Amino acid sequence: MRIGRHSYAIDYGHLALITFIAALVFWYLLDARSVSLSVNNLLLVQPVAIFALAMYLFILPQCFHKVEAREAAKPTSENDPFAVSLSTDRADVIRMAALGVSLGLMVFLLDVIGFDIAIFLFAAAAMAICGERRPLHLLFFSLAVTLVTIYGFRALISYPMHTTLL
Amino acid sequence: MIDVSAFNDALGIMFTSVGSWGWIVPGLIVGLVFSAIPGISITMAMAIVLPMSLYMDFFSAIVFLTSVYTGAGFGGSVPAILMNIPGSPSSFATTFDGYAMSQKGEHNEALGYALFASTLCGIAGYVLLLLVIEPLADIVLRIGPVEMFAVAIWGMMLLGSLGSTYISRGLLAAALGILLGTVGMNTAGFTRGTLGLPVLLDGIAPIPAMIGLLAASQLLSLASRDYIIEAEGSREVSLRKILKGCWGTLKYPGVLLRGSIIGIIIGAVPGVGSSIGNLIAYAETKRTAKDSATFGKGNPKGVIAAESAVASGEGGSMATMLALGIPGGGATAILIAAFMMHNIVPGPSFIETQKPMVYAIILNNIVQAIVLLAVGIGFIYVASNIMKVRTRYVLPAILVIATLGTFAVTGEAAGPITLFVFALLGYALNRYQYPVSAVVVGILLGRMLETEFLRSYQLSGGNPLYVLERPGAMAIFAVMFISLAMTAWGKRKQNRAEAAEALAMRQIQEETRAAHTTPSKG
Repeated sequence: MRIGRHSYAIDYGHLALITFIAALVFWYLLDARSVSLSVNNLLLVQPVAIFALAMYLFILPQCFHKVEAREAAKPTSENDPFAVSLSTDRADVIRMAALGVSLGLMVFLLDVIGFDIAIFLFAAAAMAICGERRPLHLLFFSLAVTLVTIYGFRALISYPMHTTLL
Repeated sequence: MIDVSAFNDALGIMFTSVGSWGWIVPGLIVGLVFSAIPGISITMAMAIVLPMSLYMDFFSAIVFLTSVYTGAGFGGSVPAILMNIPGSPSSFATTFDGYAMSQKGEHNEALGYALFASTLCGIAGYVLLLLVIEPLADIVLRIGPVEMFAVAIWGMMLLGSLGSTYISRGLLAAALGILLGTVGMNTAGFTRGTLGLPVLLDGIAPIPAMIGLLAASQLLSLASRDYIIEAEGSREVSLRKILKGCWGTLKYPGVLLRGSIIGIIIGAVPGVGSSIGNLIAYAETKRTAKDSATFGKGNPKGVIAAESAVASGEGGSMATMLALGIPGGGATAILIAAFMMHNIVPGPSFIETQKPMVYAIILNNIVQAIVLLAVGIGFIYVASNIMKVRTRYVLPAILVIATLGTFAVTGEAAGPITLFVFALLGYALNRYQYPVSAVVVGILLGRMLETEFLRSYQLSGGNPLYVLERPGAMAIFAVMFISLAMTAWGKRKQNRAEAAEALAMRQIQEETRAAHTTPSKG
């Protein structure tokens, strides 16, 4: 994007995140105000929400980088001694997203198909996403995770755990 | 300085709950193993084992979790010394001289220095806590709701401003955390943000949210790696040389003392923590040493200074947590959650009414530091193999345990769903450098902040000038604004210096490249 004499790169991911947070905060403020305008209700929520929205406006320009400045900043981030920094490589992002989706599917299917089957399928899918291709390894390790966690947690917790096979 | 009667009762608790001592070694091992794996943090380890502590009695649960915390303090230094990769951010300064010693073939001695410094200074931190808890109790009992509110806001501001490269992002994270912490019905009976879901009436379940933000989000980001870390070949481990290093630590009492004092002070300030404490202790030791030129080239004082600050910082952060009920960071936030799971609220009233229990917790931490000496040596033998784990085996297992852990806490699908939602949020926040720990602490303190604010409002009759009658609160607010301004100024300066350095490096690289390409053309 060009504004005046400068070219800007937009960090759409960051923009989406802060806009989502701001929308959430704004909705929460409206929801709180719709319940009651009493000071006892809004004493903390209203000023903190307004502060958060002000921070949003303050952070917003950080999503727009001058192209030259962005390129100059690259080499320093690559030298980070902690390898925990997130990869931006397309294939890596797809892997992370796939793992997130499979975690979501497992969580929402626990009560539908049973904890045992959901955990088995998730473990196999997660192994495959992380690069495991040998069918026997996929089968036996996922089975081991399922058996150990189901029987382990069943011994530990007092709530009923819905299972289909175990 | 010590309440003798409460101290005797604490010894009684210690000896009548011998069963809880059995949790020390497993807790230390969990902490050592997790923190030795780069990418898996202390808070992640504690978050994953937190639900297990629900089924223990209160004292055993705290013994187990504080053992994880103690073990993790030293565990990160093993890969720092052997491979130049800090297992956790708090071991960063250990790499400077630890790895240099390793390259000289003195890795056993370096591990000995690190282990003994951790043990001695861990004990020192808790002995000091034992001595100050009584006078601290007298002070915190005079704290009213206005001061409590001011302290909590200060803690949140510090967490927000220091936990991230960008102050604004930290403050937004802290504000979001506070708002999430107020979801549900407040003490005045108003219900907000529940989306009509009865499960949200009591607010967002803090433990599943915490596990999602601190553990699951980080685990998702490891999916792109085959090995968590590409480790070098294991080095030969010699018990004799490790013990020689342990003994050698005693030759540097000044370094131990300085590191401990810095660690305790930094550890007690919310939001700063041992990741900064070890760097400050290292820098101060280097600055005052006569042989400062040898730092970074394998000087044992560098290892001792860094490790002593990490170990003693634990006592400092526990002081803030026990006295005020305010977590200094992710690890103490999890300890507070463990307290809450057993319907115990740490803070002024806990210290006053449960003094023997407070002493028993501190004494047990001293025992843990001593046991760490033996467990730590055993751990060094297996450590280099633990670091070579393949993510394809670790990730599914830990994510399933974390998910079932949240189910164990809530007893319904709401727990795992909360974990999933907050894992995604945590992943996004991490990606754009927002401090996740500020959100976690906000969720934990949101309700308390609102209650104390409401009580202050009712006491003052809505008159804001009431704060002028509370000099303590005024002092805290003044310190808060000064420290925030100083942090902003310091960060601005640091960012400018870093930008200038990056520009200079870029120019040097371009000049070098130009110098290399010109002759080939000719």
